[in-house]
Amino acid sequence: MAGHIVKEADLTEYSGAVSAPTATERGIGRDPKHGVSSPGGKSPKKMKSNGRMAGILLTPTGIILAALVIVPIIFLVFTSFTNFNRRSLMTGEFDMRGLSQYQAVLTDPTFWAALLRTFLFTAALVVGSMLIGMGVAQMMTKLGTVMRYIVTFVLIFAWAMPNVASSFVWVWLFQPKYGVINWLLTKLHIFGDVTNLAWADNTTLAFLSIWLLVVWQAVPYIAITLYAATMQLDPSSLEAAQLDGAGPIRTYWQIVVPLISPSILVIGMLSVIWDFNVFNQIWLVSAGGPGGSTSTIGVFTYKKAFINFDISQGAAISVITVAILLVITSFYVRNLLKSGEDL
Amino acid sequence: MILKGFIMRNRKWAAGIALTTAALMALSGCSMGGGKSSGEATGDTNGKGKTITVWAMKGDYQDETLATINKAFEKKTGAKVKLQIQQWDGIGTKVTTALSTDATPDIIDMGNTQVAGYAASGGLMDLTSEKGELADGKTWIKGLEDPATVDGKLYGVPAFAAARAVIYNKQIWKDAGVSEEPKNWDEFTADLDKVREANASNPDFVPFYMPGQYWYSALQFIWDAGGDVAKEEGGNWKGSVSSEKSVKGMEEWKDFENKYSSEASRSVDTETPSMDDMLADGKTGAILSNSATIGTVKKTNPSLTDDSLGTFAMPGKSGKNQVSMVAGSDWAVAQKSKNQKLAIEWLKIAASDEIQQTWVFEHDGWLPNSVQGLDKAMKSDKFPQVQKGFFEAAKNSKTTPASPNWADIEADKSVNDFTKTVATGSSSIKDAAQQFDAHMDEVFAKKN
Amino acid sequence: MSTSSKAPQAVSAQPRAGKGTKANRNFDWHRFGTGVVAVIFCIIWFFPVYWMTITAFKPRKEVMTSNPVFIPTHWSLENFHTAIFNTSFFVNLKNSVIITFFAVVVSIFFAFLACAALTLYRFKGRRAIMVMILAMQMIPGTAMLIPQFIVFNQFGLLNKYIGLILAYIALVLPFSIWNMRGFFLSIPASIFESARVEGASEWQILRRITFPLVAPGVVSTSVFAFITAWNDYLTAYTFMKDQAKYTLPVWLASFTTPAGTDFGGQMAASVLFSLPVVIFFMIIQGNIAKGITTGSVK
Repeated sequence: MAGHIVKEADLTEYSGAVSAPTATERGIGRDPKHGVSSPGGKSPKKMKSNGRMAGILLTPTGIILAALVIVPIIFLVFTSFTNFNRRSLMTGEFDMRGLSQYQAVLTDPTFWAALLRTFLFTAALVVGSMLIGMGVAQMMTKLGTVMRYIVTFVLIFAWAMPNVASSFVWVWLFQPKYGVINWLLTKLHIFGDVTNLAWADNTTLAFLSIWLLVVWQAVPYIAITLYAATMQLDPSSLEAAQLDGAGPIRTYWQIVVPLISPSILVIGMLSVIWDFNVFNQIWLVSAGGPGGSTSTIGVFTYKKAFINFDISQGAAISVITVAILLVITSFYVRNLLKSGEDL
Repeated sequence: MILKGFIMRNRKWAAGIALTTAALMALSGCSMGGGKSSGEATGDTNGKGKTITVWAMKGDYQDETLATINKAFEKKTGAKVKLQIQQWDGIGTKVTTALSTDATPDIIDMGNTQVAGYAASGGLMDLTSEKGELADGKTWIKGLEDPATVDGKLYGVPAFAAARAVIYNKQIWKDAGVSEEPKNWDEFTADLDKVREANASNPDFVPFYMPGQYWYSALQFIWDAGGDVAKEEGGNWKGSVSSEKSVKGMEEWKDFENKYSSEASRSVDTETPSMDDMLADGKTGAILSNSATIGTVKKTNPSLTDDSLGTFAMPGKSGKNQVSMVAGSDWAVAQKSKNQKLAIEWLKIAASDEIQQTWVFEHDGWLPNSVQGLDKAMKSDKFPQVQKGFFEAAKNSKTTPASPNWADIEADKSVNDFTKTVATGSSSIKDAAQQFDAHMDEVFAKKN
Repeated sequence: MSTSSKAPQAVSAQPRAGKGTKANRNFDWHRFGTGVVAVIFCIIWFFPVYWMTITAFKPRKEVMTSNPVFIPTHWSLENFHTAIFNTSFFVNLKNSVIITFFAVVVSIFFAFLACAALTLYRFKGRRAIMVMILAMQMIPGTAMLIPQFIVFNQFGLLNKYIGLILAYIALVLPFSIWNMRGFFLSIPASIFESARVEGASEWQILRRITFPLVAPGVVSTSVFAFITAWNDYLTAYTFMKDQAKYTLPVWLASFTTPAGTDFGGQMAASVLFSLPVVIFFMIIQGNIAKGITTGSVK
C-alpha cells in the first residue's frame, strides 16, 4: 500500500522504482515490532545521527515558537509572581508578589472543585469520543465507496462547524419549549412531558448536553485520522488473523489496535489536552452554572484572566494546571519509553 | 562535528530567546509605563491632515447618526474620522488590550456600567475639566453620569439612555377587554389575568413574557421593595441581595415571573428566543423592555405599527411605579490617545442638542442624554405616543451599583445565574441570594 | 449515542470483502448490518447540521414553533441575502481566505521539516524539544492571549495579515508536529537504508521519499490547521483593529446583539461559513482517494 503512495505521488524523476517495491514488500505495519512501534531505539539506522540536518530543519519552527509562544510563556510565568492586572496593562505599573498568587489559588476551594470536575469531565469526554471515533473509523473501512463518502461528508460537517456556531445550535436544539430535543423526548414518552425541561439549569443535564456537543465535534478528527491509519495497514496481516479463526472483536483489539496504537496514543493524548481545555461550549451552553457547578478549570481561568483581568492569578492557575498536566503526561511518556516507543 | 553544529544552533536559540525576552521586557517597560500622568489633553483642535478613530458598538447609534456627527466634526476641525463598528462578543478583551497600546482608538463607545472599570485602571482620560462645555448647561441623566464618575472625576460623556417600560400589544389587550392602561399594581395584574383568560386556548401564549435570566427586571422588583443589589459602606461595596427587603423583592419577582410568563422562560436569557420576537409574533401580550424594541418589533412584524403598541411605566407593588432600570452608553476618550483635543470636539458635537434631539431621539429612537433633552423631546410635536412610557419611566430611574467592579458581575454572568436559580426554584431565594452576595463581596473587594 | 457506540462490534465482524469462504457466508448480513449502523450514525451526526441548514432556509415565522417544522413549507433565501449583502461579507471572506491559506501552507511546511528532524534524526535535546512542544499545547488559550498580544504589539505585528498568519502558525505548529509524527514513525527503516545506499542526499530523501510517504499525514494535518485558522474568533478580533481586516468569524458574531440573536441570519451565516471548509476537504478528499484509498480498495 505504501508503495502505491510512492507510485502515485512520485511523478518526479527520482529513481523511486527501487524503493517503492521495497515499501510494498515490507508493508507498513506488517511487522509491528519493527515497522511501526519502535522505529527509534531498535532501528538505529533509520534515525541517523545528524544534528546539523536536524538543526536546519528545526530552525523555522524554532524561531516562530520561540518568539511567539515561548516568549509569551516566559511573560506568563513572570506575571504569575506579580500583581499584574488591567491597570498594569494600561499604565505599566505592577509589583512583585512572590508566591502569593499561588497561595491564593491553592487555598481556594473553588479551584480544587473546578479541577476535580475538569478531570472527571475530561475523562468522560476522552473515553466517549475515542471509543466512538475508533468505532466509526473501523466502520468506515467496511463501507462501500459511496457510503464512506457520505460518512466522511457528515463527519466533515460536524467537524467544520465553528464551535461557537455549534454551541448556538446546541442551545437551540435543547431549548425549553421550542427545542427539538425536548419535543422528540416528549414524543418518545420515555420521561413523560419534558417540553419545558431546562437542560442548562441542572448540573447533570447541562454536562450531558455539553458532553454530547464536544463528543459530536471530536469524533470526526479521531475517526478520520484513525481511518487513515487503518488504511495504511497491510491487509494480509488482518487476513492472517482471520484465517487463524480470530473473532471480529478480537481481531480488532488484538491485531488492528496494536498496529494503529501510535496514532491512538497520540490522538488520545491530544484529546486529553483539548478536552481538558474545553471552553466555548461550556461557556455558551451553561456559562458554568447553575451555581458554578459546571465551571471547569477553563471557565475558572477565563473568569480570572478575562473578566476580572486578574492576569497574574490567571497566569498562576495556568502554571499550576500545566504542571499537573505535565505530571500526568510524564507517566504516559514513561510508559511509552518502557514499551519500546521513542519520543 | 555534526552534533556540535546543532548545539551551536541551540545556543543561538537560547541566546535568541534571552534577547527577545529582554527586549520585550525593556520595550514593554517603556511603552507601557510611558503613559502621561496628568490631565493636559494631547494634540490640538486644528485637525488638518489628522484622523481620529471612533469605536462605536453595533446597535447603539445608527449609521446615519454617526455619519452626521462625523460630517459636522470634519467641517469644524478639518480632521477626518475613521469609524469602526465593534461586535459585543469579546468586547471587554478587545477594549482592554486596545487601550493598553499606543495605537489606541481615540473615542470608544461603552456601556454605562463598563466605564468605571476602565477608568479605575487608568485607561481613560479624565474629562472633568471639560465637563462644563460638554454638558453645556444641561443635567445629564443620573444613570449615565454616575457610573462614568469615579472618585468625583468624570470619564465618560453620556451618549443615550434606554429606560425600561411595559410594552404591550394594544390589539391583544383590547380583545381581552382591556381598553385603559393600568395605573397601579392591582389593575396591572387584573389586566394580565384578563389577557390570559382571553387567550387560554393558545398554549403558546403567555400574558407577560419575562425570561428568568432577565436580571434587569428583577432589579426593578428589588428596588420597588426597598432593597438594593449592593450598598456602599465606608468606601467599600457589599452585596445586599440577601437583605430582607431585597429577598422580598425577589419573591415578588419570582411570583410574577412564574405566574405570567411561561415555564420554559424560567431558565432562558432575553436573546434565545428573542424577547422582542415573542412580542412581535403575538406569543405574548406584553414585555418589559426599552425603546429599541419598538423598532425591532415593527421590523420583524411589519403589520405592527406605532399605533398598535402602547407603553407605560411598570407599576410597582409598593403603590408607586417601579424604579426603572436605565441602561445606555457613554463616550470615553482613551488616556493614550494622541488627539484628545480633537476627540473632545467630537464629543461636544455628539452631546449637542441638535444631535441628541434630531438624531439620537427622533432617528434612532433612544432617549436623549439629559433631563432637559427628555422634556424637550416630550414637548416636541414629533413626539410619538408610543414613546411615552419610556420617558415616564426614565424620570424615576436607577442603574447598577457604581463600583468599578460591577462590570465583572455582569460579564461573569453570575447575576444571570442568580435570577435564573430564583425563577426555576432550583434553590431557595435566601440561599441563592447569600451565595450571590458572597460572590459580589469577593469581586468588589478586588483592587483595580 | 447508543447506536453509534455499538459500531465496533457490529462492523468489525466484516472481514475484507469477498475473500475466504467464511467471509462469504456472512457477507450480506454483515454488509447490511454495517450499512444500517452507518445510516443511523449519519442521521444522528448530521441532524444538528441539518437543523442549522433548514433553519437558515426558513422564513422567520417558522423558525420558532412549539411543534418543530422538519421540512419548511416555504423556502426562503432571505436569511442568506441578508447575511451576504447587508454585511461586509466579501471583505471578510477575502481576509479569511488569504490568512488561512498562508497560515496552512507555511505551518504545514514548517511542521513537516520539524517533524522530519524530530523523527528521522537523532541529536541531543530531541526528547526535551518533543516534551516542550507537547507542553505548549497544554496552556489554556485564554491565558496566552494577553501575553501574546503584548509580544505581537512589540513586534509591530498587530492589525496586519502577516501578524495573524504568524499567530495561527504558532497556534497550529505544535499540534501539527505531533499529528504528523505518527505518520513519520510508520515509515519502514529499510526505505531510507536503500536510498542512502544508492547515494541519495538527505534533502532528496526528504523530498522524494519521506514526503510522498507521509502525504496522508500532511493532508490530515492541513485539514486541522485549516479548520483551526478558519474558526478562530478571539485572536482575530483582538489583533485586528480595522474592520476591513476582520475575518469571517467576526462577521459571524455580528448576528448576535444584546437585542437578541437573529437566529435565521446566524444559521445562514454558519452555513456559508462552514461551506469553504467542506469544499476544501472535498478537494483534499480527491488526493486522499488517490493516495490511500485506491491503493487499498483495489
